[in-house]
Amino acid sequence: MDTQIAAKKSVNQQANQSRGIWADSFSRLLRQKSAIFGLIIVVTLICAALFAPYIAPYNPEKGILGDRLQAPSEGHWFGTDSQGRDILSRIIFGSRISIQIGIITVGISLVVGTFMGALSGYFGGVLDLLVMRFIDIMMAFPYILLAIAITAVLGPSLVNAMIAIGIVGIPIYARVVRGAVLSVKENEYVEAARAVGCSKSRIIWRHVLPNCIAPIIVQATLGIGTAILDSAGLSFLGLGARPPKSEWGLMLNQGKDSLQTAPWAVMFPGLAILLVVLGFNLLGDGLRDALDPKLKE
Amino acid sequence: MKFLHNKRVLTLVILLVFSVLVAGCGQDTGSSGTESKDDGGQQAAAPSEKVLIWGRGGDSSGLDPANVTDGESAKVTINIYDGLVKYQRDSTEVAPALAVDWETSEDGKTWTFNLREGVKFHDGTDFDADDVVFNFERWMNEDHEYHIGGTFDYWGYMFGGYPGVVESVTAVDQYTVEFKLASPMATFIANVAMFPFGIASPEAVKEHGEDYFKNPVGTGPFKFVEWAPDDKVVLVKNENYWGEQAKLDQLIFRSIPDNATRLMELQSGTIDIMDGITPDDVATIKNDDNYQLTLRPSMNVGYLAMNTEKEPFDDPKVRKAVNMAINKKEIINAFFAGLAKTAKNPLPPSLWGYNDAIEEYKFDPAQAKSLLAEAGFPNGFKTTLWAMPVPRPYFPQPQKIGEAMQANLAEIGIEAEIVSHDWTTYLDKTEHGEHDMAMLGWTGDNGDPDNFLYVLLDKDNAVAPAGNIAFYKNDELHDLLIEAQQEMDQDVRADLYKQAQVIIHEDAPWVPMSHSTPPIASKKTVSGYVPHPTGVEPLDTVDIQ
Repeated sequence: MDTQIAAKKSVNQQANQSRGIWADSFSRLLRQKSAIFGLIIVVTLICAALFAPYIAPYNPEKGILGDRLQAPSEGHWFGTDSQGRDILSRIIFGSRISIQIGIITVGISLVVGTFMGALSGYFGGVLDLLVMRFIDIMMAFPYILLAIAITAVLGPSLVNAMIAIGIVGIPIYARVVRGAVLSVKENEYVEAARAVGCSKSRIIWRHVLPNCIAPIIVQATLGIGTAILDSAGLSFLGLGARPPKSEWGLMLNQGKDSLQTAPWAVMFPGLAILLVVLGFNLLGDGLRDALDPKLKE
Repeated sequence: MKFLHNKRVLTLVILLVFSVLVAGCGQDTGSSGTESKDDGGQQAAAPSEKVLIWGRGGDSSGLDPANVTDGESAKVTINIYDGLVKYQRDSTEVAPALAVDWETSEDGKTWTFNLREGVKFHDGTDFDADDVVFNFERWMNEDHEYHIGGTFDYWGYMFGGYPGVVESVTAVDQYTVEFKLASPMATFIANVAMFPFGIASPEAVKEHGEDYFKNPVGTGPFKFVEWAPDDKVVLVKNENYWGEQAKLDQLIFRSIPDNATRLMELQSGTIDIMDGITPDDVATIKNDDNYQLTLRPSMNVGYLAMNTEKEPFDDPKVRKAVNMAINKKEIINAFFAGLAKTAKNPLPPSLWGYNDAIEEYKFDPAQAKSLLAEAGFPNGFKTTLWAMPVPRPYFPQPQKIGEAMQANLAEIGIEAEIVSHDWTTYLDKTEHGEHDMAMLGWTGDNGDPDNFLYVLLDKDNAVAPAGNIAFYKNDELHDLLIEAQQEMDQDVRADLYKQAQVIIHEDAPWVPMSHSTPPIASKKTVSGYVPHPTGVEPLDTVDIQ
């Protein structure tokens, strides 16, 4: 009886020391002030998006022309835009579009980039050469210029802007994943998997990729911020979201005409973009440090 | 070590900045060098030179006036060319230009012009009756060797096709030209005075062919120097002008599409005069002693045309529903800063023949909705609403006005997507009927109702490239408009145009939106500027201190 109890205790003690890689990383993340700040922003954004219809004081797409360009007041905390719409409500509803943009664009880049990077890193040789040169060519174009070219071909719409930004994001993921795969594939457990006769796809998807997940997560988090910024850029140029959507970049575009008389129409959407991008960047940086503590040393 | 590293970076930055500065200066001297090629000694005279820079919302689409229809082109070409006759500075009364006088026969079918002697084109060739014949034949005969470089839209609009009402143009002697018309035409002399019918140098037309629109040569007060697309058009004074010489030495038209940017340029002094002021900024200009605001007399209309060839706009009920759904008054209060009136007719009220008895479609979303239901669209439909990319005198903030219309239409279930293209493409695509609904406008060219109703709503002009972008065809209206063209008595004509407006109102191919008095802002140092109701004026009387 006694010995049994002792054994259980020692297991518990071990569990206290290390609760698994995810819990560990999370506690490391919480130790960084800037990452917490980033996390708060991101969580706020997600809440705003989820509960937009309950939080927003007005309909974001319906304005009263008679109330146009009103300065921030009790009735309209962030003022109204040129169509008499409440800017706060538009920013809250805009968070939905931003999250959508972040997830979809990063999703496109991530899936395609991971696929390309994993194959090229694992198999090497001619395939690696071809894929990586193709990636080099893509990277030779300035990021936003390539996105502009793609939307110009596809036509201006939010979906096309997302596709464009998704495509131009591919090279980064491909490179990150390839590098990670290269370092992982020489490990003993991969060799062991090969030795017991696992198929190549099983080795890649079950053994190699899960061990490359940390850099991918970091890159994806950072990427969401960039994607939101770029899509705002495209919308500002008239190549992304179409009116009357409450997209932040589009709001900047519409507010710029009255920059001198109604600065709030550009100030608040601009601040929203700034904060969210900052939030994702801080969180991404924090995640990098948390997931790979050795890196910091 | 770290310090040293930073220092190196600093040096590098300084070097970079310096090299950019040097490169910038180098470029500057380079460009003024090429300009001086055309005009020797211009650089030496630079300090005392009078240069006026006009800031505007869009670039010209071409500088061959016969082949353009947009105001941004006309604004430039009117300074380069003279027509046989021209308008008075502040009205659409006809005055002599290249013709010193003219007479018409009893039956109104023969017009004889006596031409000015001793006039030279900018390329040095002499002007005479053969040049007039060449130009008119080039415009009116589709099989003319130089009927190229465009589609000569304005000739078709104004003279009823190619060759249209003009049967022949002949040189009686070196300085006399005779026109024979198929039928009398009340608006003939007023039409000839319009900007598209500026006389071009036949030598230059022959030399440049398709590219003539980039190399204009006329007899006007300014000579063409350079056109950098989407940037600027540069003109210089014509020292050999037959009339009083221009006060300015150089005239530059710069395209600055963004209203706010253009205003900032005016405030920072890089341009001297500008049109297309965002109405919200009008007060800023008014309250600043360094600037003056001039209002152009209103002779325009801004409208939303519905493509009657496309479903569901082929149904007049749908068109009426759209008319009732849009809250014009609110839109005008919001986006015109009080510098416009709501429209109920295609004609501006300042024009004779305006039918004030017509009762406007009242803003009434409920009735609009029931009309839509009657037409078979109880839940509305999806469509496109085209809004131009650049501010126009009749729509100073087209994108925002479009968005407000979009919101109005959404109330009755019409989901309209806003479509926009660059200005030249926009004009081209709407002329070819690619739109469902499109915003456009018109500034009268000759002070005659014909110039609005026939050009914009007659079936003759509903073929691509169309002036009638509603592609609206009504035979009854056509007969009235043609009758009015051939009638010489103005009272009878006014009556015909009033009837025409009743038909148009009933068929509702447009939502007539606004008649504006477009504001022009300039520095206090600019004098002698007289805005013309037609929206284009030669700037030879303008001076700058």
